[in-house]
Amino acid sequence: MKNGFAIFLTAFLVLVTSWTAFVLGPQLQLGRARQVAVLNSSDVYPTSRPGEAAQGLVVYRANGCAACHTEQVQQDGVVCNVVLSSAGKNPSAVSNLLATLKLSGITEEEALAAGDKISAAGGKVETHIIPTGPDIARGWGLRHSVAEDFLYDNPVQLGSIRIGPDLADVGRRLPDANWQLLHLYAPKSVAKDSLMPPFRYLFETKKIGATPSPDALNLPREFAPADGYEVVPKPEAKHLAAYLLSLHADVPLYDAPFTPAAPAKP
Amino acid sequence: MTVNEKQIDTSCRVPLLVLFGGAALWLVVGSLLALAASLTFHMPDKFGDCSWITYGHLQPAADDALLYGFCIPAGLGVALWIFARLGQTPLRGALVPVVAAHLWNLGVLVGLVGIFAGDSTGFAWLEFPRGGSALLFFSYLLIALWALMNFSGRREGGTFPSHWFLVAALFLFPWVYSTANILLVGWPVRGVVQAVVAWWAGNNLVFLWTSLAGLGASFYFLPKMSGRPLHSYFYALFAFWTLLIFGSMRGVPVGAPVPAWLPALSAMNSLFLIVPVIAITVIGWKTVRDATGPECKGGSYCMIEFGFVAFLLSALLLVTSACPHFGRLTQFTWFAAAQTQLQLYGFFAITMFGAIYYILPRAVGIEFAFPKLIRVQHWFAILGVAIFVVALVVGGVEQGLKLQDPRVAFADSTKTMLPFLRASTTGLLCIVIANLMFALNIFLMIAAWKWSVAKTVFAFVISPLSKSEVKA
Amino acid sequence: MSDEIKTNPTPAGAEPTAERSHLPMWILVVLLALLYVGGLYFNQHSGWFDKQVYSPYGNAAELELYQPKSGAAAALAAGRKSYESVCGTCHGNDGLGKPGQAPMLAGSEWVIAKGHNRLAHIPLAGLSGPIQVGGKDWNLAMAAMGVALSDTDLANVLTYIRSSWGNKAGEVTADDIKAIRASLGARPQVMTHDTLMALPE
Repeated sequence: MKNGFAIFLTAFLVLVTSWTAFVLGPQLQLGRARQVAVLNSSDVYPTSRPGEAAQGLVVYRANGCAACHTEQVQQDGVVCNVVLSSAGKNPSAVSNLLATLKLSGITEEEALAAGDKISAAGGKVETHIIPTGPDIARGWGLRHSVAEDFLYDNPVQLGSIRIGPDLADVGRRLPDANWQLLHLYAPKSVAKDSLMPPFRYLFETKKIGATPSPDALNLPREFAPADGYEVVPKPEAKHLAAYLLSLHADVPLYDAPFTPAAPAKP
Repeated sequence: MTVNEKQIDTSCRVPLLVLFGGAALWLVVGSLLALAASLTFHMPDKFGDCSWITYGHLQPAADDALLYGFCIPAGLGVALWIFARLGQTPLRGALVPVVAAHLWNLGVLVGLVGIFAGDSTGFAWLEFPRGGSALLFFSYLLIALWALMNFSGRREGGTFPSHWFLVAALFLFPWVYSTANILLVGWPVRGVVQAVVAWWAGNNLVFLWTSLAGLGASFYFLPKMSGRPLHSYFYALFAFWTLLIFGSMRGVPVGAPVPAWLPALSAMNSLFLIVPVIAITVIGWKTVRDATGPECKGGSYCMIEFGFVAFLLSALLLVTSACPHFGRLTQFTWFAAAQTQLQLYGFFAITMFGAIYYILPRAVGIEFAFPKLIRVQHWFAILGVAIFVVALVVGGVEQGLKLQDPRVAFADSTKTMLPFLRASTTGLLCIVIANLMFALNIFLMIAAWKWSVAKTVFAFVISPLSKSEVKA
Repeated sequence: MSDEIKTNPTPAGAEPTAERSHLPMWILVVLLALLYVGGLYFNQHSGWFDKQVYSPYGNAAELELYQPKSGAAAALAAGRKSYESVCGTCHGNDGLGKPGQAPMLAGSEWVIAKGHNRLAHIPLAGLSGPIQVGGKDWNLAMAAMGVALSDTDLANVLTYIRSSWGNKAGEVTADDIKAIRASLGARPQVMTHDTLMALPE
């Protein structure tokens, strides 16, 4: 290329292509996204975070939590389980048939075939959709994260390295605000081998007044302050805990289908 | 009018001193921050009492200080000089790049302080708050404009491969940086589109910009120092196009919470990067193969060669992320951190060291105070980056294997990392030492230059007036 | 000098030059081979720019396949979706109807009747003329809005309206709809109150 203009033009065209693919394209596809319907329910998803949790996102960003934690559940695959919902008029024939069929961990085509066979024998089946993958197996989420999970987040804190566990669904996994506060103040008090640095500056150690503060942390002996002192979370700590509790990725959607476990009978 | 080399070099003197001086300072600051961040894993309790030294501030600040504090100004300075030399045209109006370079340093300072104060934007590689990023953008524009004016006004027509790479790099940064800051901080786009823009910008700045600027420098210095012509014009053209096209169309990690076409497109282009890697390997190998010039003794030539090989390795590590299984294995592990360090420090920084050690004595007219230290610095740098990268590549794969196995508790995957993290901290320590030696030589040269300027001024002031200067 | 054709090694001090040997063919072959492999991968894994297809699903058909389909809840959800897009404009998404447009369905005796036969004829044949719904008189014309829906879809819609907004009546199956469609023929007469009452429940 002989002159500067030719170089500029090449570079410009290539960058326009790259910008179109990764900036314009996603913006056109996802930039006006709205709430979506939850599968098999009249709810919509997501609902925006309540006030304290929204303030907690500010604390999360300001302290760089995304430097160690991710907020994206991965899913490696999906399988079906065929479950009998009614034995029908001929239960013995159906149970004989069940013994011969593979009914869990199968593909959708196999599930349809098995379902047809069982229906022909008079039984009624349900097919459960089960996501698979190490994140799911670890309980870090019920299905992979999708764009709707982050619809109202600003800034989106997906993270890029798992020095600490994934937090996309931590509100379902660890729904206790007290646990979160204890973990922030002294990670080793609740997670023995944790590498997480303590966030003591989000808390205040003050002299116990006439009565102990209701917010005071209930710390084990080796992390507790000196006698006569108590550890009270600052508003930032409470907001951060509220934000963590608001992190959920447990709702089935069209682009992340799964069959939720039946709610426990009262 | 013939222009000699000395004129060209001298015309760049002050801008280069400011750019390289600031770069050296931020390099040291960045590596110290990285060392501190790394120490968090070995003594987490000590980092719990002050918000300024929490890992979430130290690590992003270290990364940004390396990229924006060192890499970009060093690349800009080398580009300015290479344009002047290749075009046989001295740099005019050097005051503007000087002022711009000072503004750049101010921008980096504002940005870093902003991160520590809790004003980080929250996006990797784009953490500087508005004030810092605005200063960076405008000062880059000024310097890039000056380089392009020098390029377009060049005496020596035609283009050399380095021109293409450097012009593309000059053009790339303002586009990507402004787009990213506008769409993430100014008028934020909605939801996960923010993440895609951040990944796109991160890839274009950390991988593509440094590859273009670093290869532009390598393609200049390899033939120059070895005394052989670059092999070849058309290979380099091919490498330029393929690197630009494929390198810019990647960055979204596999399995990301975005529609599947984005990671698929990204993985595809990461795979295609093999082609520019092959082309660049051939260029480098065939250029220096029959060289009878300087041997590798720890000087500039050695650094350029090492940086070149490091680029090839770093790009190959990036290509592995195209393989879906391996990509998923390593995606949330230290592997990515190792590849980034290999790219930014192993390739780009060491190439810049070689270039700066070559350029500065010629531009300033003063030799380095401790020339023997250059070789020691080089060995420390190589040692440090090798230990760091090998430890975290192996450790990252181990960590990935443990993360992929749901029967392994998460705590065990972090425990596995500890010996590798210790090794990486040692690597960072060697890098800190190397950077301190580099900075020492640069600062002493700046001091020597200032002293010589002061002496000249002083000599002028106290010199006796000639008869013609005295009014009758 | 306007270009850099030089084959001699550069003397020390002079600027570097680039020789002009041509690009070999093999590297272009490698590029083409990789483009092919990459294209195959993209075809399989990208979902072809569908914004609802996320990995691990490879395409929109596969995603549709893995939606939880069986079970009453799924049928209700599908019925709701169809209802809201076809019927809700006039009858209201809340089933309360709109004066001058369509009568309410919530609590309507035609909807919650024990047998679904009369109800199913309305969307399949249309309805016009005076009719009483929930104690109110209506005299409008409804087109056969259900003709375009499949048997399953219409069955789901009717099951949905029979079990929503406080209605508690039995489901309607696709087979029921199929039978009624067959009995009505290609161009059924629009129903009236009298022809509806003439039908068995």
